[in-house]
Amino acid sequence: MPDVPLDSLTPGQTAHVVPLDPAHPLRRRLMELGFVRGAPVTVIRRAPMGDPVELRIGATLLALRADDLRLIRVRA
Amino acid sequence: MTAATRPATLIPDALACADTLARLKAAREPRVVVVGNPNVGKTTLINALAGTNLKVGNWSGVTVEKREAHLTHGGRRVYLLDLPGAYSLSPHTPEELVTRTALLDEAPDVVLNVLDAGNLERNLYLTLQLMDYRLPVAVALNLVDEAREKGVQVDSGALSRLLGVPVVETVASRAQGTAGLLDSALGHATLGIGVRYPEAIERAVEALSTRMTGVDTLPPHAHRYLALTLLEGDPSVRGRLNATGHAALVQAADAQLRDLDAQGLDPLIEIAEARYALAGDLARAAAPQAQARRTVTERLDALALHPWLGIPLFLALVLLVFRLTFTVAAPFVDLIGGPLQDTLTGWASAALSWFPLARDLVTGAIIPGVGTVLSFLPTLLVLYLAMSFLEDSGYMARAAFLMDRAMRSVGLDGRAFIPLILGFGCNVPAVYATRTLERRSDRLLVSMILPFMSCSARLPVYVVFAAALFPRQASLLVWAMYTLGMLVALAFAFVLRRTSYPAEGSGVLLELPPYRFPTAQVLWKHAWRRTASFARRARTTVLATVAGVWLLLAIPAVSGASFATVAPQDSLFGRVSQAVSPIFAPLGFGTWQATGALVPGFIAKEVVVGTLGQIYLGEEAARPTALGLVDGIVKAGQATWDAVVASVSAIPTVLALPSLNADTTQDLNTPLAAALARAFTPASGLSYLVFVLLYTPCIATVGALAQEHGRRFAWTTVAYQLATAWIAAFLVYLIARAVL
Repeated sequence: MPDVPLDSLTPGQTAHVVPLDPAHPLRRRLMELGFVRGAPVTVIRRAPMGDPVELRIGATLLALRADDLRLIRVRA
Repeated sequence: MTAATRPATLIPDALACADTLARLKAAREPRVVVVGNPNVGKTTLINALAGTNLKVGNWSGVTVEKREAHLTHGGRRVYLLDLPGAYSLSPHTPEELVTRTALLDEAPDVVLNVLDAGNLERNLYLTLQLMDYRLPVAVALNLVDEAREKGVQVDSGALSRLLGVPVVETVASRAQGTAGLLDSALGHATLGIGVRYPEAIERAVEALSTRMTGVDTLPPHAHRYLALTLLEGDPSVRGRLNATGHAALVQAADAQLRDLDAQGLDPLIEIAEARYALAGDLARAAAPQAQARRTVTERLDALALHPWLGIPLFLALVLLVFRLTFTVAAPFVDLIGGPLQDTLTGWASAALSWFPLARDLVTGAIIPGVGTVLSFLPTLLVLYLAMSFLEDSGYMARAAFLMDRAMRSVGLDGRAFIPLILGFGCNVPAVYATRTLERRSDRLLVSMILPFMSCSARLPVYVVFAAALFPRQASLLVWAMYTLGMLVALAFAFVLRRTSYPAEGSGVLLELPPYRFPTAQVLWKHAWRRTASFARRARTTVLATVAGVWLLLAIPAVSGASFATVAPQDSLFGRVSQAVSPIFAPLGFGTWQATGALVPGFIAKEVVVGTLGQIYLGEEAARPTALGLVDGIVKAGQATWDAVVASVSAIPTVLALPSLNADTTQDLNTPLAAALARAFTPASGLSYLVFVLLYTPCIATVGALAQEHGRRFAWTTVAYQLATAWIAAFLVYLIARAVL
């Protein structure tokens, strides 16, 4: 199954994180918040103007911008 | 997989533990630090534990809040230090840096780790990181009620066995479990387990720890943590070790990193994954049938973050807060500014009748000046209560989420919205709040536009002018001033981002914490602290300024006049103001009185009203109501009761939509309002308010800017704000004169 960028998911969809790109500007913080290999992540909704995007990772609700989302790859 | 099937990941460390417990028993006043993720109810817990002993200050050098308490527990003195919320001990924010530094340098006797029972896995990540410090740990499993509602049932006994440290269930908002928490922390804290990292990492840690052995400046409890952090490539730890003469250690770490890299290992990933794997196992073992139900938060967010209702709802909420502020507080404002002040003036003039100069100073300057400022305390208290509610309930983060896209169109991110909103309360803490922004260019940019956010000290000026010139649209006018300030700030952000402070990198990352009903105690403490600091300024800055203005008003600037009896326009103050006033003539308020109030307004905006009162009411302010002590108290008591009744009965009108344009409750018929109504036209009044809104808020803000970004930056800000204020007020005057 191919990896896809996280921003390609629609609200309500869940997928699993693959190891983060070392070049991701938020890599360290994302890992600390639970973006580790295999963690399930759900897209909840987009903000009223389309961006940022609300996600659930573990029991945490997070908002990330689409630009940063695009650099996170997930496996459906 | 459960933790039980993976015993290899646990490192019991009983030997080192016995050692530290002995140290703890010997300590006269054991020091407990409280550590936890943001939004785990730590503030509430600390309040429940420390009660009135809690002292709030700032960490020296940084402006992160420091909460500490000395208390007596079981006949024993205990020192409690609350560390700022942190997701991890690899610092990304000044708050996290403070937490990390305190753990490294202070070597506390006990680390009290507060967990959110409803978000165990992520919270345990920090717990496991804490255990890389070899310090005794005790756990407060907080918010167990909220977790239960979500369908998460944590077995605290199992968690305690798995972690090897005491775990106490608490519901801090109802002070449940807090009594036993200190017993547990002081009596039973242990080093607990630790994470066993992959073999190659452990070998590297071992090698680095060996190099640290015997080095006094690197205390044993920190060895393992420092080694791991070096392997993670944390730049702040590297910098610190290099600066303190441990460059050889950093080089040794680099050599280990090259080795690991050659084996195809990325320590950052290996370490984080090992911690998360264990945290996940522990969480599943301690809360086996965790099945999240649809929570209140999700239901509320469906509305609060609704695609097209979210933003109107947010704007309506802000308007509601302002309306509530005025409606509820107005009767008290009238009370303090009216009957109470009159009574006091009566008493003072009777008591000082033999000292005419002192009597004039007290009844003509201090009581009206300071009194006018103090009369806004009720307004501020209500405003601060409402803002604390929005912050502590979790809504502010939603506001940042909603506003991010809009903020980005001017080059900022949603998080910058929070210091800007805080600026509505007071610009000074808002300047310090810019530290939560990760990028330096953002901090500079937001600091520079912050003073345009209308702080609460400017509110009294609007309220008095609204009462005088626009009594029927008072709250709408105030709302418009706040909005204008915000628009100007955003316009400048747009320009400055493209000229002086280009964006570096990307990234907004914001936690949306669960909605919670803040406890009355915490709300009250937050709001009261802010109100009290405003009151303190009334006692110091404002008192000194009104006395100074009184003196300048008393010194004659023409021959023939004598001290204290000179007409205001012939005084030193009047003459200087007259000399400056032509600058403001194009703005519609070139009178010396109006100009004169702006100058001390540079010290603090709340002084503007006090000074206006002094200038316009200098003589008539002394309206001594000749009352004896007893009837004075009776009258004041009666007036206070009336104010309470009026305030409570006004609450329902807050929601009455049609009254948006007709504020009947806004009946501030003070003598100052009457004087202003005579001295200003609606157009010149508006222009005056715009000037007051946009010029330098106060000397304390300038000080904060200088402290954060240097004097040059602070004075640049002052200069460009004066220019902006003048131009904007001029435009407003031109337009208003044509329209009104």
